[in-house]
Parts: sequence; C-alpha cells; structure tokens
Amino acid sequence: MELFDNLALGFATALTLQNLFYCFIGVLIGTLIGVLPGIGPVATLAMLLPVTYALPPTSALIMLAGIYYGAQYGGSTTAILVNLPGESSSVVTCIDGYQMARRGRAGAALATAALGSFFAGTVGVLFVAALALPMVELAFKFGPAEYFSLMILGLIGAVVLASGSLIKAIAMIVLGLLLGLVGTDVNSGVSRFSFEIPELADGIGFVSVAMGVFGFAEIIANLEQKEKREVFTSKVGRLMPSKEEFLYAYPAVLRGTALGSILGVLPGGGALLAAFASYTVEKKVTRNPKIPFGQGNIRGVAAPESANNAGAQTSFIPMLTLGIPPNAVMALMVGAMTIHNIQPGPQVMSSNPALFWGLIASMWIGNLFLVVLNLPLIGIWVQLLKVPYRLLYPAILVFCGIGVYSINNNPFDVTMTAAFGLLGYIFFKLRCEPAPLILGFILGPMMEENLRRAMLLSRGDPTVFFTRPLSLGLLIAAAALVVIVALPNIKKKREVAFQEVT
Amino acid sequence: MKIRDQKNFWSGLMFMAFGLFFVGFAQQYDMGTAARMGPAFFPTMLGGLMFLLGIIVTLSGLSTEHPDGKVEPFNFKALGLVLGAVIAFGLLLRPAGLIVALFVLICVSSLGSHEFKLRDVLLLSVGLSLLVYGVFIYGLSMTIPVWPVFWRD
Repeated sequence: MELFDNLALGFATALTLQNLFYCFIGVLIGTLIGVLPGIGPVATLAMLLPVTYALPPTSALIMLAGIYYGAQYGGSTTAILVNLPGESSSVVTCIDGYQMARRGRAGAALATAALGSFFAGTVGVLFVAALALPMVELAFKFGPAEYFSLMILGLIGAVVLASGSLIKAIAMIVLGLLLGLVGTDVNSGVSRFSFEIPELADGIGFVSVAMGVFGFAEIIANLEQKEKREVFTSKVGRLMPSKEEFLYAYPAVLRGTALGSILGVLPGGGALLAAFASYTVEKKVTRNPKIPFGQGNIRGVAAPESANNAGAQTSFIPMLTLGIPPNAVMALMVGAMTIHNIQPGPQVMSSNPALFWGLIASMWIGNLFLVVLNLPLIGIWVQLLKVPYRLLYPAILVFCGIGVYSINNNPFDVTMTAAFGLLGYIFFKLRCEPAPLILGFILGPMMEENLRRAMLLSRGDPTVFFTRPLSLGLLIAAAALVVIVALPNIKKKREVAFQEVT
Repeated sequence: MKIRDQKNFWSGLMFMAFGLFFVGFAQQYDMGTAARMGPAFFPTMLGGLMFLLGIIVTLSGLSTEHPDGKVEPFNFKALGLVLGAVIAFGLLLRPAGLIVALFVLICVSSLGSHEFKLRDVLLLSVGLSLLVYGVFIYGLSMTIPVWPVFWRD
C-alpha cells in the first residue's frame, strides 16, 4: 500500500530527535500562548513565525503546525476555566464548558476536550493522508483557468461561511488582494505602489499585516475594556470523566469528528465553522438531555472540541495539495512555506515527500503531545491565567517587535506593522472582519499570475473560464453560494444561527 | 439624509477611498491588453470593484439600521502609546541596543493600561530582558545589538 509507505516515510521524518523536539516545543509554546486570553492562533502564529526562520523547512513547518493546534487547544482551556474564548473557534466551548466548571466539573470538561481532540486529531490525520494523493492527482489536471476559478470559489466560500456582513467581507478580500499586489510585478519588473520606498519594492511583509491587524489591533481593542476575569482555580476537580459521562459524551465525539473532518476540507471551512456546526447538530440530535445545553451538558464540550480539532487538521488538505489556503491560519502557513522557498502546491508532495508526509505524521505526534502535556500540566496553565493583562501585553509587544525586526533586520518592518495595527484598529471600530483580508493578501499575487496565464493561453478571450468544464463547475459553485446566502430566507437563518451560539 | 449605521457608512467610504487610491496610482503603469496584461490591469480591475463595493456598503449604512451601528470613540491614548512604543522600539534597536529599546517599549506601552504600577513595570522590564537575552541572543543566536553604540567595542 502506497499510503502506508508514505506514512512510514512521514513517521521516519517526524520521529527524528530534532523534529520531535521542535514539534514538542511548538505544541508547548502554542498552548502557552493559546491559554492567554485575547491572542488567537492567527496572532500566535504571526508572532512566532520569525522564530522558525533559522530552522530547516521541515522542522519549521512541523513546529508551526504544533503551535497552531497547541494554540487551538489552549483556547479551549481558557474557554472552560474563564469563560473567555482564547480564539473564535472555542466560543462554542465557552457555553457548556464554563457551566461545567461552575458545577465543579472543570476537570471532566478539560479531559473530555483533550481526549475528544486527540481522537478527532487521529481521525483527521488519517483523513489527510488518505485524501492527499487523489487531491494531488486532481490538482495536476488544473490549468491556470481552473486555479483562478478555484481561488474565486475559495474566497467566496471563506466569506459565505463566516459570520457578519457578506458584502463587507468581500470588500475586505478585495482590499487584501490589492495590498498583496504592492511590490515588484514579476512579469514586467515594474515596482507597483511602492512610492520609491526600497523596502516596498519587495512587497508588504505578510508578517507585518498579520501581526499588525490581528496582534496589535487586538491589544489596543482589549485595553479599552476593563478587566473582568473569574478563574475557577481551586475547583478543577477530578480530571477523568465518570463512566456515565464518558458513555454519554462519546457519540458526540464521533459526530463532531465526522462533521469536523468534512467541513475542514471545504473552502472557508476549518476549526471555526466545524465547532459552530457540530454544536448545532448536537442540540438537534440530543433529545431530553438531563442537563440542558447551555447549562453544562458534556456533549456541548465534546462535540465542538472534537470538531474543531478535526477541522483544524483537515483544513491542511487544500493548503498542502492545491497550495490554496482555506482560512487565515492556512494563509499564514502558505506564507511560512514561501519564506522557506517552498512554493505551495501539488508539486510539494513529489518534490519534498519527506516534508509533506513528515508534516502529516507530526500532526498525530503533536496531538499526542497535547494530551500528555495538557492533562498533567493543567495546574500551570491555570496559574498563567492569573497573570494580569497589564503585564501580558507589553510582553507580547516585545516578542512581536523582536520577531518583526528580525525578518530583515530592518526597523522599517516594525513601523509597517504599527501602521497595520492602526488599520486593524479602524477595522475593529468599523465592524470589518479582518480574516478575509489576510486570505486575499496571500492569494493576490497567485490570482493575478493565474489570470494572466489563462488569458494569455486563450489569447485574451475571457470566456475561457466558462468553456472549460472544471473551471465552469467551480464558478457555478461560487455563484450558487452567493445566491443561496443572499436569499432573504436563508440570510435570516444564517444570522440567527450565528447569534444562537454566541 | 440620515446615517442609520455609522460603521457601515464609514467603512464604505474607506473602501471607496482605497479603491480610488489603487485605481489612481495604477494608471502610471502599462495597462497592456487582455491577452498580455500589463502591471496596471489587475489593480485597476480590483480597485474598480473595491470602489463599487464601497458604494454599496455606504448606501447600506444610509438605508439599514444595525443594533451595533454607532462608532465608539477611538481610544487615542492606548492607540498612540502602544503603536508609538512599537515604532520607538524599532528605531531604537540599532543605535541604542536591545535592552534600552526593550525598556522603552515596555514602559511606554504600559502607560496605555488603566492601572499603571511603576514597580511592576520595572520588574517586568528586567525579567523580560533576561528572558529575551536568553532565548533570542543566547539560544537562537540572533544578531541584534544588545548594548548602545557607545558601549560596544
């Protein structure tokens, strides 16, 4: 079986002492920062990206992946213990997780989250490994026209499935695409929108955008609110769920895993959507719950936690096989690969098999680390939660500052990041969701390149996007998504669905 | 005319401004043809789309109420202190070295908080200096100057 050969190669790569070490460090730091409220996985990744520059590409990506699911998991810990979602995908976990903590079952909630996540992670990794080969084969059938249409579908999907105003999200994507075009045009060599600033000729650094918009802007926004945190430190309680709780929770884990694995692959999918969807499903499926949802039902923790971890894993599929990030986190991973001179896309699997399969195998190992780390170390994470924000944010700023500076050893990048911090703060004030901007920013140059190639091949005939069947199918899917969401009936339901859980 | 949703109204204007900006500055580059697109083609297309979307968002701000439509006043103090501290850090790093830059960043940015305690801030600066030195200089051997220019040999 080719699959097993590939996985064997992957584990051989991931189990080297060096890669194990970086996987461990990644998961540890990711959890550490994920636990801190107010910093989500995107900001965490942007902040720690520069640290991985010095590493060989495989180790760097393994570490970044570790940081991602570490942060993802750390977010749930905060959600359960403090009722503050560390990141958006654990918003759902807050609802029942925090109520469980108030009932003195924080330990069981944390253990359920950890074990559910581990199970979901395992299934997710197998899913990634199994789907990778056929997806890559499909990708090789894609020409520039298909790629362009696929990116349109991906971008539309990303905004349709997110909450908030559709038209504003599309505008944010377009703004991201435009910002991505700043710098030297590869085809003509013309330096666009750089205004004689030599640093801008290389384009805007994507770490600056991500860190400014997500990191700095969030800090300033947080400073506006007075701190109010209530930590259930003394009552974490017995860690293992009781037999009754276990039997009650495990079907929810299975459902969450299945739903999360599928939703993760979709454009715009990933952890957030998976968590929301699975919570809604649980509420529908469970009849006459002993403890109602919203008051500490363990299924309300088990399902979304499994789903968001499964979704987190499988959202690697479009990124690894097609080179197209389905969400903002994967956009950062694409950025990281580009920095290490790996052009993401279907050719990665054949040109860098050790990196490709090593990364997949390391995801499973990372998930194992997560369980091992989190259950015994929960006490330390709880202590971390007590650190007041006024001490935390200067520390975050220090690490961001050094990180951005060290990319090019240039103070210009630091100033640029501050500028994006200002822009991000304005977005926050004007209710503009920043995640689509990052996606657009990463995809901008790719989209232009594929549009140019497609139009060159068709000798300037724009109908090429509609006459090639694969491309047409992708565009129809994108159009259908917009139409469906714009229908007044569904529009109302979509708004309700997002409000119900928050 | 009444603005019903200030947030949408202003973000629409912002999008329109961005659209105009990119379309305007793209015109100094070569447009090319549909088959051989020049550097101005895609930005002009996108900038135009951006402008149109901006109009729609602005109009929606005029026509539709939103429960969360009021733009809250900016916290210029936190904004200025945090971003100012970061910019100062970047500019100080080369001439003054890591330690000085770090103290400035922490002390200035801390002023943005509701509760500022000098003792805690100084302790934090010392602690973080040690940590940063250990991780970045000693551990990752990054080439960042540690001390001010006149102290280095």
